[in-house]
Amino acid sequence: MTALVQVENLGRLFGALWAVNGVSFAVERGELLGLIGPNGAGKSTLYNLLAGALTPTRGEIVFDGQRVTGWKSHQMARIGMARTFQIPKPYRRLSVVENVMLTAFQRRKSVRSARAFAEEILAEVGLSDHALAPVTTLTVGLLKRLEVARALALEPKLVLFDEIMAGLTPSEVGAMTSFVSTLPARGITVIWVEHVLHAIMRTATRVMVLDRGQLIANAAPKAVARDPAVIKAYFGEEMSLA
Amino acid sequence: MTRNPGRISLTPTRGTLSLFEIALLVICIVLVAAPIPQNLQDVIVLTFLWAGLATAWNIAGGYTGLISFGHAAFFGIGAYTSTILLVRMNVTPWAGIWCGGLLAALCGAILAVICARLRGPFFILSTLAAAEVIRIAALNWPSLTGGPEGLAISPSADAMNMVFASKHAYLALTLGYLLLTYVLTKLIDGSRYGYYLFATRDDEDAASAAGVNPLAVRTAALMLSAALSGIGGSLFAQYFLYLDPTSVISPELSFQFALLPAVGGLGTAIGPVLGSFLITPMSELLRSYLGSKVAGLHLAIYSALLIVVVLYFPSGIAGAVSRLLRRGGGKP
Amino acid sequence: MTTLAQLLLSGIFIGGVYALMSIGLTLIFGVLRIVNFAHGEFLMLGMYGAWAVTRILGLNPYVAMIAVVPAMFLFGGLVYRLIVSPALDKPHLVVVFATMGLSILMQNVALMMMSADLLDIPPMFGHAVTIGPFYFKAELVLGFVVTVVCTLVLQWALKSTYLGKAIRATVQDREAAMLMGIPVPRIFLITFAGGSALVGLAACVMMPLFSVFPTVGLNFVLIAFVIVVLGGMGSIGGALIGGICVGIVQSLSSYYVAPAFGQMFFFILFLLVMVFRPNGLLGQKGAADIGIAD
Repeated sequence: MTALVQVENLGRLFGALWAVNGVSFAVERGELLGLIGPNGAGKSTLYNLLAGALTPTRGEIVFDGQRVTGWKSHQMARIGMARTFQIPKPYRRLSVVENVMLTAFQRRKSVRSARAFAEEILAEVGLSDHALAPVTTLTVGLLKRLEVARALALEPKLVLFDEIMAGLTPSEVGAMTSFVSTLPARGITVIWVEHVLHAIMRTATRVMVLDRGQLIANAAPKAVARDPAVIKAYFGEEMSLA
Repeated sequence: MTRNPGRISLTPTRGTLSLFEIALLVICIVLVAAPIPQNLQDVIVLTFLWAGLATAWNIAGGYTGLISFGHAAFFGIGAYTSTILLVRMNVTPWAGIWCGGLLAALCGAILAVICARLRGPFFILSTLAAAEVIRIAALNWPSLTGGPEGLAISPSADAMNMVFASKHAYLALTLGYLLLTYVLTKLIDGSRYGYYLFATRDDEDAASAAGVNPLAVRTAALMLSAALSGIGGSLFAQYFLYLDPTSVISPELSFQFALLPAVGGLGTAIGPVLGSFLITPMSELLRSYLGSKVAGLHLAIYSALLIVVVLYFPSGIAGAVSRLLRRGGGKP
Repeated sequence: MTTLAQLLLSGIFIGGVYALMSIGLTLIFGVLRIVNFAHGEFLMLGMYGAWAVTRILGLNPYVAMIAVVPAMFLFGGLVYRLIVSPALDKPHLVVVFATMGLSILMQNVALMMMSADLLDIPPMFGHAVTIGPFYFKAELVLGFVVTVVCTLVLQWALKSTYLGKAIRATVQDREAAMLMGIPVPRIFLITFAGGSALVGLAACVMMPLFSVFPTVGLNFVLIAFVIVVLGGMGSIGGALIGGICVGIVQSLSSYYVAPAFGQMFFFILFLLVMVFRPNGLLGQKGAADIGIAD
């Protein structure tokens, strides 16, 4: 079977800066792919290029056998690519369950069935108690869970997670990590941008490291952790020689 | 039934009718049939018409976040289309109003596409500018629109021409229009399209990530809102039997379109209706008592009212009443 | 050929005056990130004020500035406290409706108090000013000079004074400014009041050139918005350039295009600018914050 995602020589120019420069990789179905790198490496840009929020300056993206280069976010969502937002973007004037229903409508056409499905998803992520609450009452941790819930309501083939651990307590991190690691078994491929490295290193099947717009490593977590180029990118020359 | 907190509502469950709405409907029907003095009937006709227009505006404005201060243009396009068809080509308004609605919808689509990347104040200003373009065009195209002299419809009562001798007929007609716009709004409320509108309004990026096409949603909302405004315009023309660009496509009229829902409560179906039921009779009353004695007083009062409501009652009258009802332990 | 040159020059001069009227708006845009829909009515108020001082006290409108400008500053401060400030922490459409309401309120109060009559002041200088083969109304040239001086003074103040730097900092990054200890709410107040004072200044300069009536603001506010968008929000130099562009366009079109369509032409120009260059001719950022999507 062909890879779920095939990225060929992807690049994005901002003014005079190539935020992403000649990145190529493939993602197989059922993988849990971590995407890490120091600040300013271009992770967000790459993420947004995949999600359809940014248009590539050059390169190609193929998703599930379809060429989707330059497709907009709603089109990507419709063919089964879900994403979360680093800073949660809930619909402020809707309740929690209604927030999830919105995404659920892609797969359930009636309000009643969308609501039922949304309630199931909320139960999965542990937000059932807050179903009818206005989103403005949720804490950061719960808002992040809502982001995850909204993404899952798409019944996606691929889900892109954008720093869903930021702002979570250690126990929340643990719970979320366990949850994410169950997704590939359900047929959901995951690409996970994250700063909380131990979460990724423990669960990812493969890790890609981005530095200054380019891919400097693309291997199993253990190999990446020992890769001198990666260490240099994160900690500087000295550490890699040590 | 499931509640929807976080949404101010006198009609708490989406897509169903509350006792309040039913009571209001009954009152309206009574008003249509009751033998009340003519000048009061005039006021009620206008009230129903404005309630329908405000509801039409709200589909784009309150529900989708497309605040337009140029809706009088759609209103005018509808009014002129049906009137020109009647006066120059003898087409009955019963067909003409739908042509007007269609043309207005087309203009709504054009506006949506032109303003696709504009948000907030830039969108608002563009609606203002677009409406002025339409007004000036109408003013300077006498062969089509009669120019500044406008167009007049023959006052001889003829049901085929939608001209009636009895005010009761007009009351029924305008109530029918109000019901049309209201029912459509309630249907939207209870369907997933309502959610698409709210999501596009609240967070376009998130909606897009959820598979909703913001441009399509905006265009559809604006087209529907424009079409309904156009139909209202035709009814207006049939009632007053006279149109001219300055009175029909004016910025003051456009302001009224936005004022009523803002005061009544954006984002709810009943808000614009309440806004009209409160303000239109007050307006007509003030106009008849003060007449031309103090020009501008009634608008000065509304705008002051608008400022107060918008700053201190952000959910409008509907919100305030809804909170009162809930606190009083009355209707949920 | 000389006609064209004459038109261009008078376009530049009137453009400068329009720019003066727009500087307040662009500053308010840039600092507070809001549109003051009552901007035209502020101008109307200033013009009535200039008219009153001129007619009643017999002074000329330039001297009237001494009274009108501080009065407009106070008025602006009052409006900020009562209407703008309470609206700032609420959803955006609150400030839209509030300033729109203010606009209609002011128009109608003016209508009630002053009637719909067009009012103007007698010309100060009986004769025209000649520059080479061209001649212009003295008040027009004077207005342009005031604009240029004002622009230069403001540019200097923004670069060199603490207040100016604080304002620029707030324009660039509100949160960072707050973290640096800049009293942002006070900057908002000063900017709004100052912008209103600038409108008062423009009103005094414009009174000799235009008549005043209650809805005069509607004519000018759209011009001001086009200038602000063309020049980029928050940019004073941009406002001057934008103003001159607009002045030239208006001067040429009112001569070569039928007057009835002149105004429509202008609105179409506005729409074209909105569609194709919403970030301004100079491509200023900041439009994204308040009104342009990607």
